[in-house]
Amino acid sequence: MGCSASLPDRSSGRLAGPNSENGGASDAKNLRVKLVLLGDSGVGKSCIVLRFVRGQFDPTSKVTVGASFLSQTIALQDSTTVKFEIWDTAGQERYAALAPLYYRGAAVAVIVYDITSPDSFNKAQYWVKELQKHGSPDIVLALVGNKADLHEKREVPVQDGIEYAEKNGMFFIETSAKTADNINQLFEEIAKRLPRPAPSTTQQNP
Amino acid sequence: MENTDVFLGLQDFLERMRQPSAADFVKSIKSFIVSFSNNAPDPERDSAAVQDFFARMEIDFRAHPLWAGCSEEELDSAGEGLEKYVMTKLFPRVFASLPDDVKLDEQLYEKMALVQQFIRPENLDIKPTFQNETSWLLAQKELQKINMYKAPRDKLVCILNCCKVINNLLMKASVASNENPPGADEFLPVLIYVTLKANPPQLHLNLLYIQRYRRQSRLVGEASYFFTNMLSVESFISNIDANAISMDESEYDKNMETARALLSGLSADLDGQYTQKGQFAGYGNRSESMETRHQHPNANKDPAAQSRSSETNSRGKKIPNEKDNSPFSKIPSLSDLENKGATILVTNDQANQVFREYPYLFANVGDLTISDVEDLLNNYKQLAFKYVCLSNGLGVTAPSSYNSHTEFHQHTETAKQQELSRAIEPNDETSNDTDTTDDALKKEPLIDDENLESRLSPDQEVSPEWYT
Repeated sequence: MGCSASLPDRSSGRLAGPNSENGGASDAKNLRVKLVLLGDSGVGKSCIVLRFVRGQFDPTSKVTVGASFLSQTIALQDSTTVKFEIWDTAGQERYAALAPLYYRGAAVAVIVYDITSPDSFNKAQYWVKELQKHGSPDIVLALVGNKADLHEKREVPVQDGIEYAEKNGMFFIETSAKTADNINQLFEEIAKRLPRPAPSTTQQNP
Repeated sequence: MENTDVFLGLQDFLERMRQPSAADFVKSIKSFIVSFSNNAPDPERDSAAVQDFFARMEIDFRAHPLWAGCSEEELDSAGEGLEKYVMTKLFPRVFASLPDDVKLDEQLYEKMALVQQFIRPENLDIKPTFQNETSWLLAQKELQKINMYKAPRDKLVCILNCCKVINNLLMKASVASNENPPGADEFLPVLIYVTLKANPPQLHLNLLYIQRYRRQSRLVGEASYFFTNMLSVESFISNIDANAISMDESEYDKNMETARALLSGLSADLDGQYTQKGQFAGYGNRSESMETRHQHPNANKDPAAQSRSSETNSRGKKIPNEKDNSPFSKIPSLSDLENKGATILVTNDQANQVFREYPYLFANVGDLTISDVEDLLNNYKQLAFKYVCLSNGLGVTAPSSYNSHTEFHQHTETAKQQELSRAIEPNDETSNDTDTTDDALKKEPLIDDENLESRLSPDQEVSPEWYT
């Protein structure tokens, strides 16, 4: 159970609602980025996103859109903004073969596992390999160990995550969608690692 | 909201095209459309040509005095208007133009017709908390509208609306059960299930058409995500085998076998079935009087299901039992079976027992209290949706004993469609004669926008904020 938490966290620098869709393209100052979420079912993918986008899952708020697609814009210190369009994928084994349809064209892949489930960590490694093989070559990969609040049930040591990520040149972080720990950090860190389009190329495609 | 916008967009677009200064635009649109009649269909080339034409026209619109001082939104609806106009005209030439596409489409349709008969939510990892077959009918209905439209955007909106209904239901279920908010783990399986049960007409062809002719710069973000989900549903369904739905190999084969036998049985003695049904005079009349009030099937979007009372549950539980009594023991409730079911019912001693689960069926007006209204209304909606879906699922117009308002509606739809095509076809017929068509363009609306309005408005009230 990931994110029916009680801690309010409504401070993430949100600039746009989840439906703001103006068809505008990225430019050097305002990036628009497709981010795909991969990982076993039940590791809390949608909870992480909801935490990031809405601060908290609040049952009394009027949520009607669902969490499978959400977008959120963050402002960075260098006065650029990054609009993440977050594509969730179904984590059940029977749907694994459909993943390429979703990660095609993604600039970022966030691969999530549950620190209490070694199986989900294995699955995460499977996704890393798949993306290294079939993802776009300059895709930014992040490995996320979720449910970090469940210390007493931990079965995947932090060190394992760190080492695996290092070996594969990925960004690694442990998060808790429940307590909101490291959620904003995850997305800010990703934003910093995005390759910036050169100004000259963007002017050719207004 | 969206309807109005889009309709105004098209109307506004047509209005501007009638201005003398738009003569060049009218000419290029006309000659672009005509250019299609000279070539054999080649989707790749056609799609590239259309996309390129839209892009060029949008740039030209932006620079033209007709749109001077207009907002981005107005330019955007001009683009939408153009797309809708051009694609409505090109539809007969580019939709289902390749025999190979048509063949794949038929295969997909057949696959769905078979699998829908035995698939259970559990086969797709839909958790019990999120199962709600009755309300899913609403989503199925959205998907089944896909052939009512010719413009790529309108077809796409049917898909988006279906997804939106599912998301709303999932969200409500998660709140009600204190579950985590639903993500793709929950959404995709339900979309697959809903699609299988809906078996929307020409799904493969429609998806190809949207992919090729929806303006690419507008198939982005949320729309792109849900469209991708639909592609992934299609891919999953085409590849369904025993393993994909966690079924025993032999059980799967047997189910497919039974499904095939049933389908061929259905088509073989359809006439017989309808005669049988004629015996249900009471049933027929009842639905008739209900359909009379059934003006706007989805006027109330709040899924009737939320406050659904014991009927739904008992109904849900009842179905498996009924199934067990039927000669097709592996077949769950499904649309195509209605006729079969009716026959079975006639011969079933326990029919009374079955109907006892519908508390209002034998009620008198005097028995009802005001508090029954909500329940009744929900039941009514459920029944109406189901009925429409059944007719669609059977792929025939409603049988004569139902000769009622629904059929009337269907006729109206057809009539409207014919009207619409009549409004368009004359131009097509004469499209080689540039003078005539140019004149027609200038003097008459490009297409009969009255008709377009009437086709648009009643059906899309669920999509108020998709593109805002």
